[in-house]
Amino acid sequence: MMPAPVTTRRTPAFLPTARQALVVTVFTLLLSWLLHLLSGTPYLGVFGRIGFIGAVLLLAYSAAGALRPRWLSLASARLGAVVLMAPVAALVTALATQRGQFFAYLAQTQTLVGHFLMVLLAVVFGVLFSLLAMRSERRERERADRLQVELEKNTLERELLDARLRLLQAQIEPHFLFNTLANVEALVASGSPNAGPVLRHLIAYLRAAMPRLNDAGATLEQELQLVRAYLELMQVRMPDRLQIDVAHVAQAASLRFPPMALLTLVENAVRHGIDPGVAGGRIAVGATVDAAGGASCVWVSDTGVGMAPTAQPGTGLSNVRSRLQAVYGAHARLELHAVAPHGVRAELHFSGGRH
Amino acid sequence: MNTISALIADDEPLLRERLRSHLAALWPALTVIGDARNGAEALELFELHQPDIVFLDIRMPGLDGIATARALARRAQLVFVTAYDQYALQAFEQGAVDYLVKPVDPARLADTVQRLQGRLATRLADGGALDAMLDQLASRLGQRAAAPAWLHWIRASVGNSVRLIPVEQVRYLRAEEKYTLVAWEEGEALIRTSIKELGEQLDPGRFVQIHRAVIVNLAYVSQVTRGMNETAQLHLRGSDETLPVSRSYLQHFRQM
Repeated sequence: MMPAPVTTRRTPAFLPTARQALVVTVFTLLLSWLLHLLSGTPYLGVFGRIGFIGAVLLLAYSAAGALRPRWLSLASARLGAVVLMAPVAALVTALATQRGQFFAYLAQTQTLVGHFLMVLLAVVFGVLFSLLAMRSERRERERADRLQVELEKNTLERELLDARLRLLQAQIEPHFLFNTLANVEALVASGSPNAGPVLRHLIAYLRAAMPRLNDAGATLEQELQLVRAYLELMQVRMPDRLQIDVAHVAQAASLRFPPMALLTLVENAVRHGIDPGVAGGRIAVGATVDAAGGASCVWVSDTGVGMAPTAQPGTGLSNVRSRLQAVYGAHARLELHAVAPHGVRAELHFSGGRH
Repeated sequence: MNTISALIADDEPLLRERLRSHLAALWPALTVIGDARNGAEALELFELHQPDIVFLDIRMPGLDGIATARALARRAQLVFVTAYDQYALQAFEQGAVDYLVKPVDPARLADTVQRLQGRLATRLADGGALDAMLDQLASRLGQRAAAPAWLHWIRASVGNSVRLIPVEQVRYLRAEEKYTLVAWEEGEALIRTSIKELGEQLDPGRFVQIHRAVIVNLAYVSQVTRGMNETAQLHLRGSDETLPVSRSYLQHFRQM
């Protein structure tokens, strides 16, 4: 099942986090104590004012993140809110503590200077704490991104492993094996001179198809030999319906190639192209290999019945794709083309790969 | 007693030959009236010669062994021949018709011949058991094909060749005048099928229409941003492109 798309708007929460609240509380307690020592005013009175301003600025910081308009960046919205709210909060504390004497309080130079100092302190520390908080948020985000990348990498590796396992399990189809043995038996019984060569093809196929998926030294030449043995056997079984043409590729011997990948494409061509049609067809396998390690292409084409648009894609193709990418990197690709008037051509494109 | 005749249907010539020579040795009186290379040929030859026995390979091109057996509708004694098929074997164990496994063992074929001779002597009808068995077989063999027929491949001209694009690699489809733009992992292509027609053939669990002219593959949607006026933008994984969600299609993303 497809995962539903997730809304990751990264809109910050309206309320501050517990950690932010704790940091601000501790800091205002300390600052109040310092101011209490310097000014001689009672500790609780100072903490009441400083703590209130701190709480307002903290709320302004987080609310600005949640409520900011589209055209304003997150950082400027937060800093703007903090700078704007600092004098307002200081004024409110003055109003609350002085009540009736508020205007007298403002009229006195000394208290007015004190008030401005308070506003200045609020702005400076508000901005400082905002910057610190945003920096830690950014770090948090980067860590989450790193974890995400790590997770995706692990998933890819697991998928590749799965692909290998599935391939190991599906390697030699019993239907193919028993049908081929039945043919060999028929040839032997009739004393046909073909019995020997067909048996040798079968042996070559079995040897090549034996589990060797971790064989990093596997080459395109080995793969072509496997494909040749397989197609020769299929042709003995269906002489009137299958023509084959496996090219000799001069530079194939040294080219790295994931084992069984080409065979999967050839098996597909037989199973989905030749088998279902009464008329059969022709399977051709070839490659253009760039000597300098540039763009290379290996292809399998058939003139079979072609592919229905509703044909279920099996695991085979994605398997081939992921294994080719494991050898040649993400740029390696599998392309499927329609062949006129009917049939399919599968192409593997990749670059590099000299041993 | 009339001569008893048989027909052999198998797409592999060597195996037809082999069965024919085994039968010649075990049952010299039997006349093999012909070889069929597939189900359709088997039916043709059957109508022509009306043999008493039909040896049917299960995997054959065109009409397979099961479908051919249905078409024969109990007008002959059937023997299925198969290389390896676990489902068929299970089903045969419950059925009245005989089966053979390739390569055919002469001793086992001798049993079959005896059974056939006994049957033909009494002309026992198989009754409904055969029909039930064929149904069961067909359903087991057809299990994979029974999945809903959503579109899995899109044919599109790219350069001078026709690409077969697996739909799971399609990122989105957009109507462009008379054509539809297919944007997939490896590029873009224009096809003639209308977006409406495509929409009806695509698995709705995977592809969602988000605009009169746009269908998106959910697997490529990375995030949704709400816009003004009841609209939204879809962001696609691994690209800067965004797609508009128009008001009438917004309900798909309402809960997010």
